[in-house]
Formats: sequence, C-alpha cells, structure tokens
Amino acid sequence: MAKVTFIEHSGETLAVNIPTGWTVMQGAVQNGVEGIEAECGGSCACATCHCYVEEEFLDRLAPPSETEEEMLGCTAAERLPNSRLSCQIRVSDDLDGLVVRLPEVQS
Amino acid sequence: MFRFDPYAPAVDADPFPFYRTLRDDHPCFWSEEANMWVLSRYEDIVTALNDWETYSSAKGNLMDEMPNRAGNTLGTTDPPRHDRLRGIVQFAFTRKAVEGLVEPVRASANAALDAVRGERSFDFVADFSSKVTVDVLFGLFNLPREKERMVRDKAVLMVQSDPRSRQKGPEHLAAFQWMGDYARQMVELRKREPGDDLITALIQAEVNGEKLADREVQMTVTTLIMAGIESLSGFLTMFALNLADHADARRRLAANPALIPDAIEESLRFNTSAQRFRRCLQKDVDLHGQTMREGDFVCLAYGAGNRDERRFPNPDFYDIDRKPRGHLGFGGGVHACLGTAFARLASRVAFEEFLKRVPEFERVQEHLPWMPSTTFRSPTRLDLAVA
Repeated sequence: MAKVTFIEHSGETLAVNIPTGWTVMQGAVQNGVEGIEAECGGSCACATCHCYVEEEFLDRLAPPSETEEEMLGCTAAERLPNSRLSCQIRVSDDLDGLVVRLPEVQS
Repeated sequence: MFRFDPYAPAVDADPFPFYRTLRDDHPCFWSEEANMWVLSRYEDIVTALNDWETYSSAKGNLMDEMPNRAGNTLGTTDPPRHDRLRGIVQFAFTRKAVEGLVEPVRASANAALDAVRGERSFDFVADFSSKVTVDVLFGLFNLPREKERMVRDKAVLMVQSDPRSRQKGPEHLAAFQWMGDYARQMVELRKREPGDDLITALIQAEVNGEKLADREVQMTVTTLIMAGIESLSGFLTMFALNLADHADARRRLAANPALIPDAIEESLRFNTSAQRFRRCLQKDVDLHGQTMREGDFVCLAYGAGNRDERRFPNPDFYDIDRKPRGHLGFGGGVHACLGTAFARLASRVAFEEFLKRVPEFERVQEHLPWMPSTTFRSPTRLDLAVA
C-alpha cells in the first residue's frame, strides 16, 4: 500500500491509498482523479495517463521500458524529464508518499 | 449447494444473479464444471490483471481454449515477449490509425440500414451488427469479398462451446481450424502481393529488428477476425439491446448524439460481450480463505467485476450519465483489448447512423436466443420492431 498524492492542473489535490501491485493510473481512475484518461486500459498504448513525477521520487521508479519511452513521445502535453505514464508505475511500499502532477490535457 | 457452470444456458441467458452470489458468498470459488477457480470481485480481478507473473496468460486466455493457440497470440503470451510483440502490432491500432475508419464504418452502417429501409422489423444481428463488422473488417484486411458469409459463420462458431459435453465440439474446432487455414492463405497472399492493408502491416511491422513470425501473424489475424467480427458484433448487439430496453436513454441519445460515447462506456460496464477470460496460476495463492494451487486455472469474470457495488454503486442500474472509468469491459493491464480505440470508434459511428435512421425501436422477442459460449455473451438474434 502506498499513499499517492495527485495534484490536478487546477491545483486541486487528492491523496489516495493504492494497493501494492496496482498501478498509479488505476489508483487515479478508481478514485475520481480527473486528469488521467487511460483510454487503452493500462496497456501502454495511448499516452493518456501522462503524469509529472515530483523530482525526489523519480529515482525510486523503475526506468521506463522501450515501449513506454516511445509512448512518452506521444503525450498531448509537453514531455518533461519527469514525465512518466502512470499505468507503468507499479505501486510498492517504498513509493509511499509519491506525489505526481497532472498535465492540463491528455488528448 | 451453489454451482457456477459457465456452460449452462441459464448462465448464457443471465449470468448476473450467479455473479452476485459469487461476489457476496464465494469470492474465490471452485467451479467443478469449468474446472477452475472463479474471481468475481472487481478488486480481485484488477489485482490479478496486474500480477501477470502469478496469473499467467501463457496457457491460454479463453475459457475454452483452442488447440495450438496458446503462445501464438498476444493474449496468450506473457511479458517480456508479449510486450515486444504488442509493440509491433500496436501501432496499427492507435487512435490516429483507427480514425481512418470513420468513413468506412459510416458507409457500412448506412448500406445495412438502406437494406432494411421500410421494414417494420429486422434482426439487428443479421441485418446490422454482423454486416457492419464483417464489412469493416474485410475492408481493413482487404479480404476477397466472396468469402464474407463463410468467414462470418466460422467466426461465430469458433467462439462457442457445446453445453452438454462442456467443451468445444467438433464443429467449433473445425471452424477454428478453417479460420486458421484461411488466415494463413491470406497472409501468404499478402506476402506475394503486399498492399495498404492491415495484414501487410502486420507482416512488415518491425520494432528493433524484430518482426512477427509467420505463425504469429497467422494467429494474430485469426484472433483479429474473431474479435473484429464476433466480439465487436456481439457488443454492438448488446448496446442495441440496452437501448431497446431503456427508452429514456435511447431518446436522449437520439436527441443528442454527443452522449453516445458515454452510453457505450456504460454498456461496456453493464454487459460487455467479453464476459470471462482465464489465467493459469504460477504459484499458490491464498484468497478469501481458499488456497488456489500452482497450475490451477482461474476465471477472471469481468462481467461480474463490472457489477460489483464495491466499485460501482447501484451497479445493476443502466445509467448513461455514470461515466464508469476503470470498467472491465475491455479487460485491463498489459493485455487490455488491443481493439479498444477501434471498438469505441466503430460503436460510436455505427450508432450515430443507426439512431439517425431508427431512433425509436423496441425488442420483439421476450426471451433471446443466447450464444452458447463460456467467454462471450450476446444473443444470436435480436429482432427489433421499428416505430
């Protein structure tokens, strides 16, 4: 379980407890976080679950796969060094406290 | 004693009361008839979908798997190989690529509607959903049109099982065999004469020097034919059924077609045509007081998870304003339906046209003839009376 905080583009903040093994995207979508679309259901095929990971947490994440790297080139909002696809971030205890910012647009 | 038999006609006709008992009383249930465990709660299904190492797809994902299929399709391959293959196939199914299908779907829908113009009633399956899906798929693959009827009939047979023997019957296996042979012939044809079609794209697709093997192209084409023809047609029919039975929703959509996408999502939640898939355990798992053993098969009942009030309040209410994000109508996780963007687009465009021409309709049959299938659910015929 990890507490993950989503900061919507509007500034609104929502903290969610996400079970270990679930993805950050799933935690968002289940809990009414607006700024994540996840059109492809988590199969790394649509780049609409784009998020900006707060710097201090970036190293704690497993690096993106080749597919995620490719899809990160397709985000609607600007790709930044801390851009990740939230369907590829798997939750574990050591991500407790993770903070992600959501872009203005996903598609 | 409670039994859950996915071969039973009663389950084809209405699985939802069974799902409720499963979720509430037996959330990890051993079905003797299916010879596998059944997971029905939303949360447990999502956990399983994410944990592909434990819940493997490599031994087959269809409830009644077909010979030699496992390991040769995306849905029956685990990561990491799955991810490489999916990357190759996926580009053809991105939203951008799929948008080129808007006009073909619109044209197919209108051609089908032209053919029933003036009729007081027609069969939505034979006269609309199967025509449109076959037409669009044949266009996508540039398949020779003479075989349309045959391909459709085989696609419909392939996904069924014999409820009495509780397995695939000879006619179902023969249909699968026929489809595999047909796909192989089409692949060979496109290798000799490449074109602008999806089969050529699959043959030629390369990611980091890796291409699909012939067998993988063949099985992928077979699966795409099955999904594009049968699974999508089934869903269009379920959507039509929902609109036939919920007049308020139908009238709102006819008056405001911008609501169609939300209604599609709610139908995907309410009664997706892809009800149940399976996985194979790679280790023992303790869940809800049961111990599932390594090697056991586990049914992930998406149709049950989609009606779980722990996730979707008032789940048995068809509500086109619900916006059910995270529903399991397309599965989820690494194997989430490849055709998601295509299915959403085709459904939206098909129904934009349908509701323009047939805004008022109701069903004729009180009891529908349900397809006997352990994985999919849709009626084989849906007679609609036009107002």
